[in-house]
Amino acid sequence: MTVNVLGISGSPHRHGNTETLLDSFLEGAKAGGASVEKVVLKDLTYSSCRGCNACHKNGVCIVKDDAIALFDKILNADCIAVASPIYTMGITAELKGLIDRGQYLWARKFILKTLYFTDDHIRRHKGLFVSTAGQNWDHVFDGAFPAITAIFNGTGFEYYDNIIANNMDEYKGIKNHPTALADAFAKGKKVVGVLMAMEPAGP
Amino acid sequence: MTIKVLAFAGSPRRHGNSETLLDWVLAAMGKDPDVSIEKVALTEANINPCRGCNACEKLNRCIQRDGLDIYHDKIIEADCIVLSSPIFCMGLASQVKMLVDRAQVFRSRKYVLRLPVVPPERKGKRLGVFLATAGQTWPHVFDAAVPSVKCFYHVIDIRDADISYLMINGVDESGAIVSHPTAKADAERLAQNVIAEQKKRLAA
Repeated sequence: MTVNVLGISGSPHRHGNTETLLDSFLEGAKAGGASVEKVVLKDLTYSSCRGCNACHKNGVCIVKDDAIALFDKILNADCIAVASPIYTMGITAELKGLIDRGQYLWARKFILKTLYFTDDHIRRHKGLFVSTAGQNWDHVFDGAFPAITAIFNGTGFEYYDNIIANNMDEYKGIKNHPTALADAFAKGKKVVGVLMAMEPAGP
Repeated sequence: MTIKVLAFAGSPRRHGNSETLLDWVLAAMGKDPDVSIEKVALTEANINPCRGCNACEKLNRCIQRDGLDIYHDKIIEADCIVLSSPIFCMGLASQVKMLVDRAQVFRSRKYVLRLPVVPPERKGKRLGVFLATAGQTWPHVFDAAVPSVKCFYHVIDIRDADISYLMINGVDESGAIVSHPTAKADAERLAQNVIAEQKKRLAA
């Protein structure tokens, strides 16, 4: 069985601390035998959720742009790593913009009841949050977790782990962090191993 | 004495619950003849996300030319800044997060370039208001939005203790806030308190 791992980079800044940390995770996943893909949100074109609630009627978003294809890709992955630096105590507007667009999946789950993820499905789909912050506060990631929980819940992924490193300002970048990149690599390899070791899904 | 109020309506949906809450606050503020109000709908304000380029740390301005060019100056000039947002996916609407993140230019000015954001005589005289609505009934539904809001006000020289909050959960359907038992009265009371405090600060 092939394990498909999708990395989503939510930073507007290419190859910065967060994307580098995500890359380490994806390299680890690849080393573990997964098929790996990375999507960079800043290269996509999608608008913010309009809050129009049209999706509450038929479960379909009226805005046709790159967000929809990306949600399809997410729903087809076995493991997703959602990455964002911390800006102003939260995830970036790019990533928040994408997560808000998942409203049509929420509508399918809770209003139309046409989408349901079994516990077994969720157990077989692992989500990880990858993040860095300049601040050294321990609580600097707290504002990000609820939105990440929202996208994992909405797309049927277990919130499996965080790969997060604060105090980037002091370290002068992730490359100078003593353990973060190696930890990310190890976690990538490990999660793929966990997914591969699972017994095949029932009929 | 003129009190300048700058208000951002953060919802992509015009005249929905969070904007109605904002309108109640602004209407009550506007009853005072000394108050001048400007309201901006962020969905029409043409503000892009922060690019994370850090150029503002050197240039003392943002390299992007968009709606923020106008609101940058207005944010400095205002006495009271009111921000409203619906809660989407447990946080600020992305339209609001764009504005909040673009305040990075103020953070660079304050902490990197060590320049004043407002003239020293206006420090401690600015007030902030954060208004939010959420469909969810969970009491913790606003928890992730508040730190970003505090950060935004902090970098534009509005102190933590000078932010007033009115956050109404359990208003899901369009217009649901109108039937809320206390929201309108709470909004009006908040507006009166903020304007009274604002007058005290400006007179000091």
